[in-house]
Amino acid sequence: MSEQEKILTEKESLDLITQMINKAKDACHDTGIAAIMWGAVIAICSLVRLSELHFGYRLPFDIYLLTIVAVIPQIYFTIKEKKQRKVKTYDDGFMNSLWMGFGICIFLMIYMTSAMYSQWDPAADEYRKLTGNTYPFRLYEFTSPLFLMLYGLPTFVTGVSMKFRPMLWGGLLCWVSCLVTIYTPIKIDLFLVALSSIFAWLVPGIIMEKDYRKAKSELAQANV
Amino acid sequence: MFKELDPILHSQLRLAVMSLLIGVKEAEFTFIKEKTNSTAGNLSVQIQKLKEAGYIDVVKQFKDNYPQTTCKITKLGIKAFEEYVINLQSYLGGA
Repeated sequence: MSEQEKILTEKESLDLITQMINKAKDACHDTGIAAIMWGAVIAICSLVRLSELHFGYRLPFDIYLLTIVAVIPQIYFTIKEKKQRKVKTYDDGFMNSLWMGFGICIFLMIYMTSAMYSQWDPAADEYRKLTGNTYPFRLYEFTSPLFLMLYGLPTFVTGVSMKFRPMLWGGLLCWVSCLVTIYTPIKIDLFLVALSSIFAWLVPGIIMEKDYRKAKSELAQANV
Repeated sequence: MFKELDPILHSQLRLAVMSLLIGVKEAEFTFIKEKTNSTAGNLSVQIQKLKEAGYIDVVKQFKDNYPQTTCKITKLGIKAFEEYVINLQSYLGGA
């Protein structure tokens, strides 16, 4: 814009307002890196555990440790994105709190289920010793629905508030899977967890990243 | 009877700045400069005028040892912008 301030007509003013609001909107695209990473990590963990059960082998380490390793790149992405961001939207604070709260809930859920197993396993062993039969109630059959219920919440809320349909449907899929896994055996549970994480995070993440890169290249071209 | 358009806002660069800030919580000076395609000197002058009118808050701080200026629209700024748009619409509707 020139040093000499131009007097605008009413129509020009309105056009300028629309143009600038759109420019601000275009600059607020989120990268999909974190969603892609978490979608892939959860899907890999579930599918590897499924293959362990199906083919009867065990890896020398717990595959779910991958979720702890994934926290390191997540911290790196968060810091990098924060540094690069020149603009803050009203949604940013809400989204950050929502996903941070989700992370805390997942941590608590892992801790809680571990505590439940530590009390449950000796009791089930005792039953087996006394009766010679396996106790009919299997606690591990009910952990997947608990996690799927949690996965659905921030995904659905993000989808609705960002008006981003792939995440909205992904969140709903998590909740449908949650209901189904209550009644299905562990192998189906693991398959549904993998499927849900692919459609709730991996696929929406790829779409977000594509949109982000498109908006970035369009902005770069517009500023040439 | 048409109301007079706010002279603070009825200027190309100041209106562009306010239109950018209306949709976001806060934005850095470099972001505004890039989007409005203006020079740093001219933008500084216009931002100062908006600040003096009470339409925006300007925070100057250091980030990674570099000076960083952040602008944020105030409640008064939002009200003035809304009134400006309503008045604009009445001009265009009545034309």
